[in-house]
Amino acid sequence: MFTTFRQAMAWLHTWFGLVLGFVLMAAFFFGALSVFDREFDRWAIPATRIEPQPMPSYERVLRPAFERMQPTRAAVDAMRGQVDGPMPARFDTVAYWSAYTTHRDPVVALFAGYEVPNARHAGEQIYAEATVDPRDGRVLPDDRLKVGSGFFYPMHYGLTLDWKNLGIWIVGFSALVMLAALASGVVMHRRLFREFFTFRPGKARLRSALDLHNLTGVVALPFHFFFALTGLLIFAATYYFPLGHTQLHELHDRAAAIEAQQTGLPHQRAGVAAGLADVDAMVAQARQRWEDKGKAGDVGFLVLMHVGDANGYVSVYRAGTDRIALVGDGIHFKASSGELIREDPPATAVARMAEFLTGLHLQHFRHWLLRWLYVLGGLAGAVCIATGFVFFVEKRKRQHAARGSQGARVVDALAVASVTGMALATLGILVANRLLPEDLAARGDWEQRAFWTTWVLALLHAAWRSAPVALGLPNPAWREQAWAISALAIAAAVLNWATTGDHLLRTLASGYWPVAGVDLALLAVSAIAGLVAHRLRLRSRVRAAQAHAAEPRHA
Amino acid sequence: MALAHAPAPASAPASQQDHPRLALVARIGAAVLGGYGFAWGLVAAATSLLVAAGMGFHDAEFLASLVGVLAMLCAFLWAIAARRLWRVWAVLAGGGALLAGVGSLVQAVLG
Repeated sequence: MFTTFRQAMAWLHTWFGLVLGFVLMAAFFFGALSVFDREFDRWAIPATRIEPQPMPSYERVLRPAFERMQPTRAAVDAMRGQVDGPMPARFDTVAYWSAYTTHRDPVVALFAGYEVPNARHAGEQIYAEATVDPRDGRVLPDDRLKVGSGFFYPMHYGLTLDWKNLGIWIVGFSALVMLAALASGVVMHRRLFREFFTFRPGKARLRSALDLHNLTGVVALPFHFFFALTGLLIFAATYYFPLGHTQLHELHDRAAAIEAQQTGLPHQRAGVAAGLADVDAMVAQARQRWEDKGKAGDVGFLVLMHVGDANGYVSVYRAGTDRIALVGDGIHFKASSGELIREDPPATAVARMAEFLTGLHLQHFRHWLLRWLYVLGGLAGAVCIATGFVFFVEKRKRQHAARGSQGARVVDALAVASVTGMALATLGILVANRLLPEDLAARGDWEQRAFWTTWVLALLHAAWRSAPVALGLPNPAWREQAWAISALAIAAAVLNWATTGDHLLRTLASGYWPVAGVDLALLAVSAIAGLVAHRLRLRSRVRAAQAHAAEPRHA
Repeated sequence: MALAHAPAPASAPASQQDHPRLALVARIGAAVLGGYGFAWGLVAAATSLLVAAGMGFHDAEFLASLVGVLAMLCAFLWAIAARRLWRVWAVLAGGGALLAGVGSLVQAVLG
């Protein structure tokens, strides 16, 4: 099909890059935003604008909250088909209760799994989650959307397409294509190091778009490669190569049984009721044991397995704030007596590698400079993809115009929607978050609708304004949407002030960076988008003047 | 780049010249499905063999996944660039099935 290897790689780079580029754009952009997901959560849920809190007391805060938890009506309805006979009024057999927090969380997330009686598949579980204020155990309304961790983050790895995990597969395939695009890009551009230092902003649009594409691709190449690879690895065993649940099921189950025997942590309930010793004392003991080993002693994850059963145990995991590796250093206690069952041994070499690679991607550590470098890396990826689109269109649009083809026009409209349109949709959800009535039922669903509606409108606008591209001219939608971004970003910051009173002077003076940071970023976005729109307007005026001057010659 | 419109090289089999679109679909299919099948087989074989060698299941699974993802990347690039498509299909599908067989066999032997 191709005469040379380089030709084949160029074809792969161009066409796979174009088609999956739209997905990669979302993965990079929302990945960059997810670095500060907890901060967006604070901005979006003003009731939680408090300092991060440590894991609260089990007896005082967590137990009452756990005991009130039950699966939602929607979860029960979804389970109905998997059960012979009626559903119970209440799920009593608790498979696990767990609580999760990080050094950036003022709220604690609770999860519960219950055994489903009369389920067709043995071991079927139904789940529930809740978010509580760790100071008093007050449960937050569950229809408030955590815009950062509950929307931008799932957009990053699965586009919020939950049906059959379709989104996770699409993003996973795009990550593979990202790796292939990096490899083929290196093959295409053999003079890598010269291009590393080449940026000609004043040159023709085609050349400067390509320069910026190469610059952002090459400077951040290790970043892009590592993040695409580690992203795939995080999901590999669960979604992409789920051998442990499929082909190698028996091997996995045998290994799990042996592991349960070695660790003394029972895999199943015993079926004998048993009480629960003082969990707070277990947590205190775990912290003491970490401290004795010179490790930061914050609890990140607390799990109660087989609650109320003689086989029940309590696992206390450390929040890995002090290193890149995603660690647990779990310490496990017998639930009924509180005696120590086991302390996780030092990780094996492979486990250390896995912890490092996944930790590098998921960044639970406390290091703000590194966090910002992640944002820059993610945005560099977004710029790389966006300039790839621009290069694709600029290279073809005059030929297409001459031939009467609509190809460049369609690609350009999609590029507008996935570059400026995505920024608009993101601002749309933030603005909706501040504008919707506080007591609106299913408020979070409306916020998400605002996001998708804004995005669809941006696409329609880009398509509606795209006619000039078929004549070899730029689409004015780029400029118009840049103006819209500038206006909406200001609007979001002002609305935050108007609805919560937390204006920048106040948040900066009190050093409350989660909200001050989001507001400052909004103002920066507004300024940059305004500048871009202004530059595009100047350019279109120059072009109009040139066209005017050229006209008499045609006459 | 417009390479898709470039005439097929003289050395390409006649069928590819007759149906360039079909040839393209077959090639993309080999890259995506063949690559995935091969990677699956490799992960299955590597996981089971590492467990047989005494490694814990989750360690083996992680290491095999790492190898599998990188193998799929190579298979993907090769499938696009290779001269003869039938050979790509033979190696990826045949090799993938063979490797998956090794995985199941090792599991059965260990059981």
